Amino acid sequence: MEVSRIRALRGPNLWSRRTALEAIVSCTEAERAIAGISGFEARLRARFPAIGLLQPAGQERSVSMARALGLATLGLQSQAGCPVTFVRTVPTLDAGIYQVVVEYTEEEVGRLALKFALELCQAAEHDTPFDLDAALTQLRDLDEDIRIGPSTGSIVQAAVQRGIPYRRLTQGSLIQFGWGKKQRRIQAAEMDRSSAIAESIAQDKELTKTLLHATGVPVPEGRPVEDAEDAWAAAQEIGAPVVVKPRDGNQGKGVAVNISTREQILAAYAVADKYGSAVLVERYIPGHDFRLLVVGDTLVAASRRDPPQVSGDAVHTIRQLVDEVNKDPRRGEGHATSLTKIRLDDIAIATLAKAGYTPESVPPNGALVILRNNANLSTGGTATDVTDEVHPEFAAHAIAAARTVGLDICGVDVVAGTVIKPLESQGGAIVEVNAAPGLRMHLTPSYGKPRAVGEAVIADMFAPEDDGRIPVVAVAGTNGKTTTVRLIAHLQGVNGQLVGMTNSDGVYIGQQRIDVGDCSGPRSARNVLLHPDVDAAVFETARGGILREGLGFDRCDVAVVTNIGMGDHLGLNFISTVEDLAVVKRVIVENVAPTGTAVLNATDPNVANMADSCPGSVIFFSSDRHHTLITTQRAKNQRVVYRDGQAIVAARGAEEHRIPLADIPLTYDGAIDFQVENAMAAIAAAWALGLDWQVIRRGLASFVNDAQTAPGRFNRFEFRGATIFADYGHNPDAIQALVRAIERMPAKRRSVVISGAGDRRDVDIRRQTEILGTAFDQVVLYEDQCQRGREDGEVLTLLREGLAGATRAQDVREIRGEFLAIDTAMDELAAGDLCLILVDQVEEALAHIEQRIAADCAISAAMRQPTGQSVAH
Amino acid sequence: MKRKHIEFLDVLSLRGPSMWTYPPVLEAWVDIGELEDFPSNLIPGFYERLEAWLPTLIEHRCSYDERGGFLRRVREGTWPGHILEHVTLELQNLAGLPGGFGKARETSTRGVYRVIVSAYQEEVTRAALHTARDLVMAAIEDQPYDVPAAIEALRDLVNEYWLGPSTASIVQAAEDRRIPYIRLNQGNLVQFGYGAAQHRIWTAETDRTSAVAEGIACDKDLTKSLLQACGVPVPQGRAVDSKDDAWEAAQEIGLPVVVKPSDGNHGRGVFLDLRTREAIETAFGVASGEGSGVIVERCVPGNEHRLLVVGDRMVAAARGKTASVIGDGRATIQQLIASQLNSDPRRGNTEEHPLNLVALDSAARIELARQGYHGDTVPPAGEEVLIQRNGNVAFDVTDEVHPSVAAHVRLAARIVGLDIAGVDLVAEDISRPLEEQGGAIVEVNAGPGLLMHLKPADGQPRPVGRAIVDHLFPNGGEGRIPLVGVSGSHGMTGVAHLIGQFLRLAGRRVAVASSQGLFFDHRQVDRAPADWSAAQRALMNPMMEAAVIENGARAILTQGLAYDRCQVGVVTGLDPAQTHPDLSIVEPQQIYNVLRTQVDVVLPGGCAVLNAADDLVADMARLCDGDVVLFARDGELPRIAEHLAAGKRAVFVRADAIVLAHGANDIRLAPLACVPCLTEQPGLPIESVLAAVAAGWALDLPQDCIRAGIETHGTPAPVAATA
Repeated sequence: MEVSRIRALRGPNLWSRRTALEAIVSCTEAERAIAGISGFEARLRARFPAIGLLQPAGQERSVSMARALGLATLGLQSQAGCPVTFVRTVPTLDAGIYQVVVEYTEEEVGRLALKFALELCQAAEHDTPFDLDAALTQLRDLDEDIRIGPSTGSIVQAAVQRGIPYRRLTQGSLIQFGWGKKQRRIQAAEMDRSSAIAESIAQDKELTKTLLHATGVPVPEGRPVEDAEDAWAAAQEIGAPVVVKPRDGNQGKGVAVNISTREQILAAYAVADKYGSAVLVERYIPGHDFRLLVVGDTLVAASRRDPPQVSGDAVHTIRQLVDEVNKDPRRGEGHATSLTKIRLDDIAIATLAKAGYTPESVPPNGALVILRNNANLSTGGTATDVTDEVHPEFAAHAIAAARTVGLDICGVDVVAGTVIKPLESQGGAIVEVNAAPGLRMHLTPSYGKPRAVGEAVIADMFAPEDDGRIPVVAVAGTNGKTTTVRLIAHLQGVNGQLVGMTNSDGVYIGQQRIDVGDCSGPRSARNVLLHPDVDAAVFETARGGILREGLGFDRCDVAVVTNIGMGDHLGLNFISTVEDLAVVKRVIVENVAPTGTAVLNATDPNVANMADSCPGSVIFFSSDRHHTLITTQRAKNQRVVYRDGQAIVAARGAEEHRIPLADIPLTYDGAIDFQVENAMAAIAAAWALGLDWQVIRRGLASFVNDAQTAPGRFNRFEFRGATIFADYGHNPDAIQALVRAIERMPAKRRSVVISGAGDRRDVDIRRQTEILGTAFDQVVLYEDQCQRGREDGEVLTLLREGLAGATRAQDVREIRGEFLAIDTAMDELAAGDLCLILVDQVEEALAHIEQRIAADCAISAAMRQPTGQSVAH
Repeated sequence: MKRKHIEFLDVLSLRGPSMWTYPPVLEAWVDIGELEDFPSNLIPGFYERLEAWLPTLIEHRCSYDERGGFLRRVREGTWPGHILEHVTLELQNLAGLPGGFGKARETSTRGVYRVIVSAYQEEVTRAALHTARDLVMAAIEDQPYDVPAAIEALRDLVNEYWLGPSTASIVQAAEDRRIPYIRLNQGNLVQFGYGAAQHRIWTAETDRTSAVAEGIACDKDLTKSLLQACGVPVPQGRAVDSKDDAWEAAQEIGLPVVVKPSDGNHGRGVFLDLRTREAIETAFGVASGEGSGVIVERCVPGNEHRLLVVGDRMVAAARGKTASVIGDGRATIQQLIASQLNSDPRRGNTEEHPLNLVALDSAARIELARQGYHGDTVPPAGEEVLIQRNGNVAFDVTDEVHPSVAAHVRLAARIVGLDIAGVDLVAEDISRPLEEQGGAIVEVNAGPGLLMHLKPADGQPRPVGRAIVDHLFPNGGEGRIPLVGVSGSHGMTGVAHLIGQFLRLAGRRVAVASSQGLFFDHRQVDRAPADWSAAQRALMNPMMEAAVIENGARAILTQGLAYDRCQVGVVTGLDPAQTHPDLSIVEPQQIYNVLRTQVDVVLPGGCAVLNAADDLVADMARLCDGDVVLFARDGELPRIAEHLAAGKRAVFVRADAIVLAHGANDIRLAPLACVPCLTEQPGLPIESVLAAVAAGWALDLPQDCIRAGIETHGTPAPVAATA
């Protein structure tokens, strides 16, 4: 068994809405039915008992090793703690070649699991050992390493629940929520509006204290000290007991509390001095440590934090008691669990010594032995949720502290006897505020109720009805995509929105093109959704990107499918029939939001059938107003758009909007059928988006489709009284549509310039000239710039073959080079002629045509100018 | 018997508007003893010594309002107090602290003077006073005095305590727009505006500068990928993890390349225009020592530029210049650097210098090595030797920036999410679109330096401080909350609390600083009578939407006001018996001069509330920049009638009711019988109620709130709770 290609489908795709790996797996004859490999399944199970059922219940057909591979990949991830369930193994038309699709939550973990699964299958096949534990440990470690941490994860989870899209911007915890102009970001538990100044203030405890004091928030009196002696002096001013701590410390490092003697204070100074730039001495406030979490103007959670401790039983040593406590399965090593193991390290031993113990002491029954003077979870402390008990005035101080420092997510550390009474009444104080606080103690407190912290953060960033989305339109189909995309974007632009648009010419933000080339894939779509100014997005969604990586968005508001052609790209990527192609293009329809709309061409049955896959509503469009689907849809009081003579009509029940084709310059007064179809699709999309009809009409009227704005999209030129159309049509359907459009236009003599793209099927290349041969007098064939793997002259031969039975074409030329071919055709044009140039290198060819025309004008102008005219009389 | 000596009896710090002036001053009480009998003209050589030591005193125009005026007075004879004032100011000035206000006044005691000098930074001015005393005494006694050393010591204090030049420019811009400011620490953290209307800056960061965005800006690789995704031109390239990888990346990108640390700053460890494997590997070694990772990028042709974005505007742009020397066939490169580059007066190592001294640092040595030279090489005559590819980016080009370049730069700041960003850009010609010339944005910096725009080596300085202030306070906002100052000889506390009650009823969170303590809403956060610091706490509290501050005459005399201006200034009355002999305030006119401070600071759009029954208080009406509302028990006072006739407002009692009168219109606010605090024990005098009502009216509070306020005030007492 071999894996020849692995793709990561990072968005909704052909198989599912989930992220998945798609592997192309080839199996030998024997491997195609594992039942035939003696003992394979038993050996596989022995090595990985948790693997799922290989044979689907009640099915007799044989199971391939590729299926075992898929199940093993899924099972390994699942055992390593990844919540994955989707797996599919599909045979291709090529015998022994399978597509194995396995869901992943982290791409790297999925890839590693696939690698291990392959090793596992091979081990089972050859009866060699497989170290399952090592594999799972490696997967688990990798997953823990790269997946979103629990604090950030809780916020992401809350966003997902609200339907807000998110995207990780780094391997770390920087997350973008929402799209375009509506995006917000967080970095761990810090929102994008938390200011850097507030963070710096929170870092400076002395400054924080000054500001809190100014706002009337109780703080412990104290001051920074210069040296150990000054620390002692400060302690005497304040009146012992005191706290000695580093000014810029974190996680309680170097902090000594409740110390009174000179020796203690001098020693504590020495420790604290190692951790920060300066040392503070403050009044010691007896009581518990509380952590209050403020989000925006709300107290969201409160925890009491207790230091690691054990209680004596007069039997066991402290070391034994600690070991006993650490047996609690909830106590882990790192930050992932709700409790962490208690460490009996130097700090713990020093703490014990203060109380007169050693680790080998046996404390009396019921004696509480504290192992550390701080209550951080990461050093074995516990957190008990007390949110519901916090006194309103107590809470108000925490909120005031957050406001004063300027943090919109703020962990406020309070020392007080209890939270049920106001701070002042018990001499409690706020001792610190923290930017980007850990949320773990509130999400999974050691004791008490978990709090919906992530939800609170999301609620602060997004108003209740706001899901952070901008309208997204996806357009698929074989022909007309680019024009439809441009027209929809134009209509939204007229509506005052800054539209991000991707198509096969590039990426556009408003009028500005920010990327050039075929940008109809998911990466370009994601880039648009990242842009901070964009109000709306329209994506041309080509088959290639869907197959390669899935969609660049989780769902869209409007999905437009223009048509499914006959011969474009068939034979590539295991897509061998038009039906297969329809399944690919249907992906955008399957991922329409429930409140969204699919705009479907009723006339194309492969497109119309997609209606059943749409979670939202459907608008059918058709050039045939009497098409069954149109009449049925109307009868059901659903929306339709159709052509009625010289107008496009959009109708639902009694509601009817009629737009004369004369008001849509794109259609040349309705002469060009395919542009009428594009206009109908765009009108339907605009309707689905809720655009005002005045805007739609204005937009249709102002849409320009020349070589500058829509290069290669039926651009018209005048040359010596002849008409030239340049188009990037490159498949039989497109060419058929062009021919139909041109046939309606009067012309003396018709000529066409064409090449064929090498990556099409022979039959499709031939078909192009078959069509042209019936409609043109002269055909100029040229060899494409990019042969895409074909031999020199091969394409030309195919093109010529297509002309074999041509009814009209008499004059056929073969030219090397696109410009030369264009020149050849143009040289022979006379007034009243019509020429169609099927351009390949779109921009260069258009520029060449324009240059020819300009040069021609200059020459004729010079010839018209009589000599001597410039002499003044 | 007193000696010839200048002795400081006391130095008062008036940290806000005082009877002398608006800005902060120190008021030194100075005893000159026998020197009273020795004006400067009677001390031989004094004038000459002083003039020699501090020649810049020539600029002091005092006494004659002409250049040299003060020195003329010294020659003609003046007393040490006056001289001390001028010398202190000049020393401050030479040390780099602004402020030119000074006064010297006799007191009722012979030989004792009050010397008042601007004190923008109290510590510096205190030191300057003492230095000035020593200097003047040395001049009097014909002793030597090391003036430059004294100035240097003061300059050190300025550097330690005073704002950095970038921050100072922002603070200056705020002052120009009359936005008040409070320094929140000894560094560059400054609050603009008061209470809930405040904004903070810390050097070139604002309270809107996102910490998350700063994190993004620090990650160059991430920044680049975000910019690229949004169509901003960046140099293609990638992170590398070894020397070999660096070379591999360089080959992918195409030579020449740049090698730099991924999270470094200020151009450290950045190597440009590398063309060989050896150079790239060497650069990798150095760059990897600077930050956590190393990036290899396409070398973008052209000069470095720094464009400053504030809000959504590109407000300044500066260009860098390479530094090179021309050989003369005799001098070494080291010597040429000294004679051709570092001799430029614009070069130096302080913030005052727009250009740094050129040193043969590692980057320069690499640059020389590339040309086959080292510091001791003697280049041939006429040969140009490049020393520094990245000189200071300090040549203003703001007016040349092409609009599309500005648009890219603004977008870059938005993508990263910074409200203030310094965008580094490399391009041959900033006046042409980047796409045309292969230019690119190479870095986006949070908290950018402003000096290159404030003091460019060449070209026009740009008002970037103003741009930052305009960004924080758009549409002319001054960051003010309704602020009422209450002054007078009596009854201030009751008036202050009653006004606080009105504001609370109007839905505002209000701070009241009075002799009863400091109150935030109902909560008493401090029991001690509120002093200047307590009042300032009220203005620092970002939750407070209004403030009422009581200022007794003694507080104004010894501390100054805690605010620069106020909406409403109330003077309850002036009691000639309430003198302050220890502060030399004994005459009614002197008391008047103290209390008028409260009226002097009323904003042009604000109001003074004055007691019409008190002639001296009523006379303060002429000092007010804003409106005046008079109050008196007796509405028939001619002064009130006159005031009303002029179309103005007054509050008084008529027919046992409180009446608000505006020109010819009267409103009966409430019958006295409905005002319980008039009769309770301890109650308020009717004048206090009228003053508060007038202030509430001046604040444009709804009359319902004022009525409800006087009907409910006094019961129950504010809840006492101290921290």
